[in-house]
Amino acid sequence: MVNDSGDRHGRIGSEDIGMDQMARNSNLSRRRFLQASAAMGGVVAFGGLAAACTTGGGGGSTKGTFNWMTWSDHYYDEQLAAIAKDQEIKTSITELADNSEGYTKVKEVGGQLDMISGDALWVPKYFEDGLIEAWDINELEVAKQLYSIARDFSIWKKPEGYLGYPFGWSPVQLYYNPKYVTTTPDSWEVLLDPKYKGHIVVENQPVEIVAYMAKFAGAKDPYNMTDEELAQAKDLLTLLKPNLLKLTQQNTETITSLINEEAWIATGNLGAEERVKEGGGAEIMGFTPKEGTVGWMDAEMLVKGGKNNSLLKPFLEVAEQAEHIAENFIRYGRPLFNESAYKLLVDKGHKDRADRFLYNKPETVNTMTLKGPGSSTQGAIDAFNEVFGA
Amino acid sequence: MSLPSGVGLKGVPLVQPGPAAPSRGLGRLAPAVPGAIALFLLFLAPMAFMLVFSFWRTDVDFNLVPDWNINNYTKFFTVPTYLRTFLKTMLMAAAVTAAGLAAALPFCYFLVRYVSRRRQRLVLLAVIVPFWTSYLLRVYAWQAILGERGALNQALQAIGILDEPSRLFVYNDIGVFIVLVYVYFPFAALALYAALEKFDFSQLHAAQDLGARPDQAFRHILVPQIRSGIITACIFMFIPILGEFLTPTLVGGVQGSLIANLVVNFFRGAQIAQGAAFAIIIAVFVTALLVVFRKYLRIEDVVARE
Amino acid sequence: MWWLVSRQIDALETMPVSPYARPTRWVLWLWAVAVLVFLYLPIAFLVLFSFNEPRTPGLPIVNLTLHWYEVAAGNSLLLEAVKNSIIVAVAVAFLATLIGTMAAFPLVRGGIRHADSVRILATMPIMLPGILLGIAMLIFFRRVLDLELSLLTVIAGHLVFTTPFVVLIVAARLQGFDQRLEWAAADLGASPRQALRHVILPLISPAIAAGALISVTLSIDEFIITFFTVGPQVTLPLYIYTQIKFGVTPEVNAVATVLLLATVALLFGSGLVLRAGRRLLRQGGR
Repeated sequence: MVNDSGDRHGRIGSEDIGMDQMARNSNLSRRRFLQASAAMGGVVAFGGLAAACTTGGGGGSTKGTFNWMTWSDHYYDEQLAAIAKDQEIKTSITELADNSEGYTKVKEVGGQLDMISGDALWVPKYFEDGLIEAWDINELEVAKQLYSIARDFSIWKKPEGYLGYPFGWSPVQLYYNPKYVTTTPDSWEVLLDPKYKGHIVVENQPVEIVAYMAKFAGAKDPYNMTDEELAQAKDLLTLLKPNLLKLTQQNTETITSLINEEAWIATGNLGAEERVKEGGGAEIMGFTPKEGTVGWMDAEMLVKGGKNNSLLKPFLEVAEQAEHIAENFIRYGRPLFNESAYKLLVDKGHKDRADRFLYNKPETVNTMTLKGPGSSTQGAIDAFNEVFGA
Repeated sequence: MSLPSGVGLKGVPLVQPGPAAPSRGLGRLAPAVPGAIALFLLFLAPMAFMLVFSFWRTDVDFNLVPDWNINNYTKFFTVPTYLRTFLKTMLMAAAVTAAGLAAALPFCYFLVRYVSRRRQRLVLLAVIVPFWTSYLLRVYAWQAILGERGALNQALQAIGILDEPSRLFVYNDIGVFIVLVYVYFPFAALALYAALEKFDFSQLHAAQDLGARPDQAFRHILVPQIRSGIITACIFMFIPILGEFLTPTLVGGVQGSLIANLVVNFFRGAQIAQGAAFAIIIAVFVTALLVVFRKYLRIEDVVARE
Repeated sequence: MWWLVSRQIDALETMPVSPYARPTRWVLWLWAVAVLVFLYLPIAFLVLFSFNEPRTPGLPIVNLTLHWYEVAAGNSLLLEAVKNSIIVAVAVAFLATLIGTMAAFPLVRGGIRHADSVRILATMPIMLPGILLGIAMLIFFRRVLDLELSLLTVIAGHLVFTTPFVVLIVAARLQGFDQRLEWAAADLGASPRQALRHVILPLISPAIAAGALISVTLSIDEFIITFFTVGPQVTLPLYIYTQIKFGVTPEVNAVATVLLLATVALLFGSGLVLRAGRRLLRQGGR
């Protein structure tokens, strides 16, 4: 008799009939339960799928669903709710991690997205590859709220129009804990100082790290280096490796390391010192290295062939309003290109914080080397792998 | 004398064949059709493209140019870093597999032998449920535990084993080892459980009755019968670890990079041709390994052997 | 953990046992407890961090608050992500278990001439890093099949690397299966279908259950393949892993804690239902 419940040894043999009968009963009921739950699981899954697949303008009052691939700090919930109410546009966000991954995705997905955010020199790349369209941002009323410099970046200007609606920017800064870093640093060199061996954290972005070293070595364009410049950067990279504690996957790790003081020096975007303080850490200082730094500025781009991209202009008209941008700054703390929002922030009493973040100095972007794809990407990755491999 | 399952002499069964399978014809293979379709559509066809791309070139504009060449492959063998890292990855995978087995086997043995059926399921679920939370969050927790100012260091200092915080446990190969064992333990446990569950423990007692020492009984009776589970557990751990890159990034520091980290760096820089080539080299190597050892992978039908 | 060692009526215990048996049992019990502590240690910290006030989850504990739970409850994208993750995980577990179990039978019993090679082929998807599979599928789905990406393509993507686990674990169990049981069933008049339902499936059910559990576990935290195969939707791991620029906030810890509690409650609930059902059946007689 087959008996597989109650007897934990899975023994094949017969027990007395009573236990056997009970065992079979509970076996049947358990199997029926498992069958039922499996069936339910399947139903739930497919029902949910069906619901999920009918994304887009269901329901009478919405004009449509706007598909936006972007970083999580480009919006906040109440803002999207306001747009849904005012303009009757529902927003569907796809999360973006890295420019190159987003680029690979958009290349294949095309019209399934309506708008995508991108950094600096990636924007013209998208345009060259025919993935986005240029348009005149001054058509929008809200464009008047931007700093004039933001409407006039040469790298984003094309005869057909402007390549994207400017959003925010940040240079890469070096942060240090003055308790442990006693001589005030002013250069990328501090990353290579053996005094701080094992107490430095840098973000895990191979091409960027090579660019930092290239900047220190004096390369003119760290994303389009000559072979000698690349070799120099690689040598510096070899010096950097023993100094690092780790390569961080997310900003969270950088901040945590600075808070618990296992790291004394770090690279990061603007705002790190605030987050460290808020997390219970010491007062850390940030500076821009004298050799110059890299940085990013991002824009919202119109994807070519996007099914709902007629909604882009009404969407931006509301999304980029000063109140929303000011609120975004308060939440995330880095400079944005909306000038009217700065005035709002001053009114709300955030002038100090805004000034600390260089909000009212958008011309700073011209001092940074802008991130983007370049001819030395492959060389940089090769160099990085060779140094950081086993 | 009875014959092994299903097959008889010249197709005429001498004993009753397994009733669940039609004794001949393609009907026997029918249940594999959905799996075969899935394998083809979702794996073989896409990978065929990747194979083709691996012989092409990525130009500076990140476009794949059909400039047929094998440079992507030769780089793996000419630049010493990649071979060294690959070897290190294999060693790490082997170490984690061994440790995972050593940890899971006693655990599953206890579970099957001394815990009631109903509670076995509960404990198994208790083992698996933590892994339904975000891996990133769990590893951040490990960083907080193993780090210099972390819980482990503080505990060890409080007891007095350490005088000052140690950087031994994380941001190096040791940290990678610990977290990999943590991550892959449930796979080993589930595979071993599925095998141990059908084992008849009275055989061990019978062996001891006949004079065997407990460890002899264990080695000669238990292990052969759960060999399929052990092999499955090994496959579940060793092979995916060769593709692991997240754990080394998070807890490996700068020395902990494994081969997949290097491959992922290519993909993240839109160097698709290069990344595809390296990934295929790894897959070919592992496949070769499995082919060479397929004799050991083949599991004998221990019970039906007469 | 008292219930782990509560005395069972163990007929074997009355048989003469080796003097090592009793202490061995306690050592094993200690080991089981140690393993469970090891598994839950990071979970404890994860939950702790959800109550910590600072924006960056981690030590030190500055102030305990429920603030992040409120924030999480109001974050509609995060909640949508959770919903999608669950849908995908359940669908993947269902399909992977079904397809994998079905495929395991011909693999073991089909008399395929090169069964070893087929098994190695089925194992290949788990050899490759996820980013390769993801990009390969993205290109294939879009350029060849011209599919629109959605949760369906995500499920397809997850199936690739979960089904091999199910196939391997069910095949391993099936391989040691004593066929005399089937012959006995046939002797007693069972059709192949009945034998399958009443003899084979119940006896390999631990392997099937293990395969299903592995599939859920793999799918629920998969983000790389998801990123490349998803349409304008978001899943929880996607949400978490893409917070690179500014990092995660304890919101996600809060969501993870709630999910954990919900899962535990669900499992306990279903266990209670089972027990009640069984009791009813027993009382009902048959």
